[in-house]
Amino acid sequence: MTPRDPAVVPRESATGAIYDLGYRGYTGERLGRRAAVLALFSASLRAAFGLGRSGKAKLVPWGITLIAIVPAAVAAAVSAIVPGGASPFNYNNYLWDMQIVFALFLAAQAPELVSSDQRNHVLSLYFSHALLRSDYALAKIGALAAALFVLAVAPMLVLFFGSVLVSADLVAALGDQVGNLAQVLGAPIIYAIPLAALGLAIAAWTPRRAYATGAIIAVFIVTTAVGAILVEATTGNVSRWAPLINPFVALDGTRDWLLGASVADSGVAASRLPLPVFGLEAAAIALIAGAAVIWRYRRMAA
Amino acid sequence: MPLISTRALTKRYGSHVTALDDLTLDVDPGIIGLVGANGAGKSTLLKILLGLLEPTSGSATVMGMDVVTQGTQIRQLVGYLPEHDCLPPDVSATDFVSHMGRMSGLPAAAARERTAEVLRHVGLYEERYRPIGGYSTGMKQRVKLAQAIVHDPKLLLLDEPTNGLDPAGRDEMLDLVHRTGTEFGIATVVASHLLGEIERVCSFLLAIDAGKLLRAAPIASFVEHTGTLGVELEDGADLLAERLVAAGLDARADGRSVLVDCPDERPYDIVRDAIDDLGLSLTRLEQRRHRLEDLFRTEGRTDDAA
Repeated sequence: MTPRDPAVVPRESATGAIYDLGYRGYTGERLGRRAAVLALFSASLRAAFGLGRSGKAKLVPWGITLIAIVPAAVAAAVSAIVPGGASPFNYNNYLWDMQIVFALFLAAQAPELVSSDQRNHVLSLYFSHALLRSDYALAKIGALAAALFVLAVAPMLVLFFGSVLVSADLVAALGDQVGNLAQVLGAPIIYAIPLAALGLAIAAWTPRRAYATGAIIAVFIVTTAVGAILVEATTGNVSRWAPLINPFVALDGTRDWLLGASVADSGVAASRLPLPVFGLEAAAIALIAGAAVIWRYRRMAA
Repeated sequence: MPLISTRALTKRYGSHVTALDDLTLDVDPGIIGLVGANGAGKSTLLKILLGLLEPTSGSATVMGMDVVTQGTQIRQLVGYLPEHDCLPPDVSATDFVSHMGRMSGLPAAAARERTAEVLRHVGLYEERYRPIGGYSTGMKQRVKLAQAIVHDPKLLLLDEPTNGLDPAGRDEMLDLVHRTGTEFGIATVVASHLLGEIERVCSFLLAIDAGKLLRAAPIASFVEHTGTLGVELEDGADLLAERLVAAGLDARADGRSVLVDCPDERPYDIVRDAIDDLGLSLTRLEQRRHRLEDLFRTEGRTDDAA
């Protein structure tokens, strides 16, 4: 089973000699499972933004990212033109206000990461390689979470640098703003991980991309509507706990608990629930949805 | 150490379907043909060897590694070409094969280099930069083979590699499989329901039917002389058969022919004399050879009855 010696046979042609080196075995490094998982993570992250794909594949993710950034950029520009003017956006409410953008990105890109592998039976190739089925699930969740983090952190950074750049004394402004870095970087993490797990838990269920997209949109619309209706229509304990039906409330509550101040219209403060409850729910969403994705790929025939 | 070894390997789907039934075999490296009708259990066996399916009972090892507990190690050293489509349409062959190389643990640069090499080997040139969706079936099969060998596996498992190909495509694919197995020295298992294909490229044959092993032997032994003499006559086959049986030979009429069992050379003279005595006209006298199909005709029948 030794590879044969390269038989170097020059064949003369008009432009020069062609050397048939024959087949060569691979004697280099084999990095194994961990490297395979990392490669799948980075390939999936690139796919989430359509990198290395056609222009059409880039349109949606970049379009949505642009939508996420524009309000922050406008707010920064306005406060540059009208000094002292109150911006409607801050580090606390920005991600809450862009929940529709998160929902759109998830609906468009979660199926992009997993539906094609399932529909085209690429999964049986993945599962016949070094990585485990759970590795595949975790690499995909990680990649989507990283993509959502990029989506969320981009406008936060625009707010951050916007407020630094409009001030007269840049160094002092930077010093003032450094304290907000925990918010700028932390809040996107709080949003990204549970949302990625939730989106993939839905998308992994069907090889049909359109169904997955529809189901994700439906889940966000239904949970938002039902949560809001119950808060209005009921009283007492039901009304207090109803906001938790909306996953975005759980995320805002967690952000509130760990990083900062309340957002008026998120219903977190109005519910008067202890803030760790929201943290607990966000963690539960991430863990249960993540486990569902892993379970799904463990059970899938390949 | 055998390349593949199974002991009482059984796989049931639900309580009714038995895909593999108490399969015990040892296979040494080479190009191995795994032949059987559709549903005989070929794909199931390959998937168990890859660790994609767990056996219901029994055990199997590949290169000395247990398929249940050491699946990850096995899969790093095995290349797999599935029976069905397994290629994403929106990615180019170069990107896809190199991605699969990295899934086997190759570093990025090595994966790119190997991709260029194996795509050239399977005969994909300029088109390798175009999305796979636009490829012909033949080109897709080549990409499937390329992704199976990009990491230089020690063992190749090919499930119906000529699936969906036209005759010319089949020939090219079989030639490719043969070259991959012999020139590169990669042990190869080719599953196929077409005996002719197996006969052409393989040196060893595993025949399975309804999940049971029919036979495991070098290809040569299937097509060797059977020790049966075929005597074809214009007419009077029954007459000759009677005469030969009377002379103490194992003979039986089969249509216009008489089949005579020839453990040694003694029967030849008796046959000649008997034909001469009876005044029959002889059309043809031949050494019967085994044909691969015989496997399924004779032994397959007992399975159906069971």
